[in-house]
Amino acid sequence: MSEKQESKPQNGGEEIRIGVYVCHCGLNIAGSVDCDEVAKFAATLPNVVLAKDNRYTCSDQGQEIMKSDIREQKLNRVVVASCSPRLHESTFRKACEEAGLNKYLFEMANIREHCSWVHLHDREAATEKAKDLVKMAVAKVALLQPAEEVEVPINRKTLVIGGGVAGIQASLDLADTGYKVYLVEKEPSIGGMMARIDKTFPTMDCSICILAPKMSDVLHHPNIELLTNSEVVEVKGYVGNFQAKVLKKPRYVTKDCSACNDCTEVCPIIAPNEFDVGLDIRHAIYTPFAQAVPSTYTIDMNLCLNKDNVIVCDKCIKACERQAINFEMKPENVELEIGTIIVAIGADVFDPSVLPNYGYGRHTNVITSLEFERLINAGGPSGGHLIRPSDMQVPKRVAFVQCVGSRTDRNGRLYCSNVCCMNTIKDSLLIKEHWPETEIYVFYVDIRAHGKGFEDLYKRARKEGVKFIRGLPAKILEDKKTHNLWLIGENTLQKELYKMNVDMAVLSIGLEPRRNSEIVQRLLTLSRTQDGFFMEAHPKLRPVDAATGGMFFAGCAEAPKDIKDSVTQASAAAARAGILMAKGKVTVEAITPISYPEKCKACGLCTKVCPYNAITLDKELQQIKIVEAACGGCGTCAAECPFGALTQSHFTDEQILAQIDAVTEYDSEKKIVAFCCNWCAYAGADFAGVNRMQYPPNVRIIRTMCSGRVAPKFVERAFARGASVVLVAGCHPGDCHYINANNHTKDRVERLWKKMEQSGLDKERLQLLWASAAEGERFASKIREIQTIIKRVTPEEIHKAKRVFEKALEGV
Amino acid sequence: MPERIRHAPLGNKKVKQPNAEVHIITDQCKGCGFCIKFCPKKVLEESQEINARGVHPPKILDESKCIICSFCTAVCPDFAIFVVEKPCKEERHIKHD
Repeated sequence: MSEKQESKPQNGGEEIRIGVYVCHCGLNIAGSVDCDEVAKFAATLPNVVLAKDNRYTCSDQGQEIMKSDIREQKLNRVVVASCSPRLHESTFRKACEEAGLNKYLFEMANIREHCSWVHLHDREAATEKAKDLVKMAVAKVALLQPAEEVEVPINRKTLVIGGGVAGIQASLDLADTGYKVYLVEKEPSIGGMMARIDKTFPTMDCSICILAPKMSDVLHHPNIELLTNSEVVEVKGYVGNFQAKVLKKPRYVTKDCSACNDCTEVCPIIAPNEFDVGLDIRHAIYTPFAQAVPSTYTIDMNLCLNKDNVIVCDKCIKACERQAINFEMKPENVELEIGTIIVAIGADVFDPSVLPNYGYGRHTNVITSLEFERLINAGGPSGGHLIRPSDMQVPKRVAFVQCVGSRTDRNGRLYCSNVCCMNTIKDSLLIKEHWPETEIYVFYVDIRAHGKGFEDLYKRARKEGVKFIRGLPAKILEDKKTHNLWLIGENTLQKELYKMNVDMAVLSIGLEPRRNSEIVQRLLTLSRTQDGFFMEAHPKLRPVDAATGGMFFAGCAEAPKDIKDSVTQASAAAARAGILMAKGKVTVEAITPISYPEKCKACGLCTKVCPYNAITLDKELQQIKIVEAACGGCGTCAAECPFGALTQSHFTDEQILAQIDAVTEYDSEKKIVAFCCNWCAYAGADFAGVNRMQYPPNVRIIRTMCSGRVAPKFVERAFARGASVVLVAGCHPGDCHYINANNHTKDRVERLWKKMEQSGLDKERLQLLWASAAEGERFASKIREIQTIIKRVTPEEIHKAKRVFEKALEGV
Repeated sequence: MPERIRHAPLGNKKVKQPNAEVHIITDQCKGCGFCIKFCPKKVLEESQEINARGVHPPKILDESKCIICSFCTAVCPDFAIFVVEKPCKEERHIKHD
């Protein structure tokens, strides 16, 4: 998408004047790196005309110094050695532009996340590493070329995935702003989890009463197209210009349905109603709940007798006066052109049957908090009468067990699920409201009443006589005759054992990532944290943005949260998407391929590896043609070309080779040359830094957009220059941000392994790592693991590799 | 909805139970087995008896499972099977109050 650039490697005439700024970042960097020494060292590097160190380069003051230097000292290249380019590259690029320097003439050395934070206790080695990182950046920046970014128009439409309260709110906000919204929901009705809950905390509003008007707004809003019973099956494209395919499953009931319920009365098939967690029944033709939107009924083809268009049973057809039932409906593929995507897929609940000590599934009167919601709900299976399942009697003594599946490292999740404490307090008050005589015991670890009005509710519950006992039961036993329950455990405040007899126990279950979130992750190339929830671009400053441009999160998809927080985040996501679309256009980074037609042999290898089919081969002209608008910028084509006829703008062969040469100038036999992809491995190394995971300081990371950019000659060059170990790191297979470009990484590394084996080299010296953006520890432990390989690599082995790969030293 | 269902339905809802009476005219049957094969609720099976036409006619396995879809009548080439609804017993009604 860049302007066609000069095909010559470097412009001869212009004198290169590089300015280097080494940032202290307070004590974040200066605490373990001698920044003054690094700056002095930088001043000795070729083409560097000035090198400074300052407290905060990203501050206004720091940027002003940089800008005035660019103007006064006529700098034409700038290096900032500070934090990760994923954090502040855009800040500094903007400053360069303001001073009249093309932003592609700027480079960062990551001496915080990749250096000071991960080598906190080895100042000397960290300083040496920082020098190397600066040297690499200086070597690369000298070869950088100015580039112009192309502006692409944005499609002013949004796809919202998930029709829970978050998806509903985001859709309504965007639709009210004036953008077209497609809301896709996989269930027959929107409403999500909130529709199943009886009351909301802390105000005790009726949940469906406040949600139903919003659901109806969604249905009637002229800017919203509601696609229920539908799933997104494919997403292609890039920010502003996505193409999504949605599979709309047939309902077998047309819009003529008036929801009169005549059909369900005659339907002979009965099954548990999922909406009521199986506590009630439904028929094969059904509507999940009374307020469902759309109200059109659905036929569940897994249950209906009429399969494959054979009408075995026609009772519903006969009963329907409006003739709304049509068994010939087919699944439809809907293709959407959209500009932004909001992911609001929500969360699942923990299944407590994996905890044998609580007996859920065996003891009839042990229920989950979600089942409790349906029992206490006036629209639920018992019409709002709190009854226990064994004898349908009102329980006199009810126990709530907290943290079921949360905050545990055995049979559950490590995190706090955020909503269960307040949910239990709300539930206990609901019981007290209707049956004030009921004895209620809450067994807890900590009560977390952190939100507005939460503490008041907690106090109210205690005042109403709800007993809070610290210490979870170790076991729940059932009296076989009465089906009463015995809860046995330790009260940790009074240091005494309890044995409590209750009529019913409610397990306060936690929230889990959706079981299909892996599919969504792959579909949209998102990242997930170790918990399994989606990872935001920055935990503090971009909490609703995905790392992938044009995608945003709302609700429990990102982390467990209550209704208020989900709605807040949904409005935020809508605003973020709106900002993008209001501009109407988006700039695309100038990192597309550059071709050298005189070297091209028209072999067509590049066309085969391009994940976007952006390169076509003209057989008659014996030329390739690059469609820049379709290019995603992975650089796999450049790595594949055996003749050097293709390279990637801003990540050219010369630039990367210069970085390799800078690393291997001294002590190469002790160093690891690591190639990390921008989205996963590099971000994972950043994550290791943010979490201060310590690892040995002998690794030097070279950033590429995709691991698919790593050409075999880069690895060979590193070995030829005497590197001890080379690490190629990228996204997990299937998670690649460039569709499948990292498959080629694997092929190339395997070819290199074969070559090394044939030449009698230790193939362990070339390491391949798949690490996601959240797997900082995986990255750190890989570096630790590699140390044993470095120890056993002998000088003879290094020499041998130098000889084997000496061809790689030729030219560039 | 992905939660696993662990509790049986409470059974509070009124459900009209089909009350079927399946009639097989055994001597008219030629033993093609269509009714057995196509019954969606597997109400019928082949009997051991031999009818006037020298074949095994179907017999009823569990009449209470029949939902009176009458698909057996529709597929029978010999008009040898039909279902009627018995005068209604009581509705299944276990509502607690």
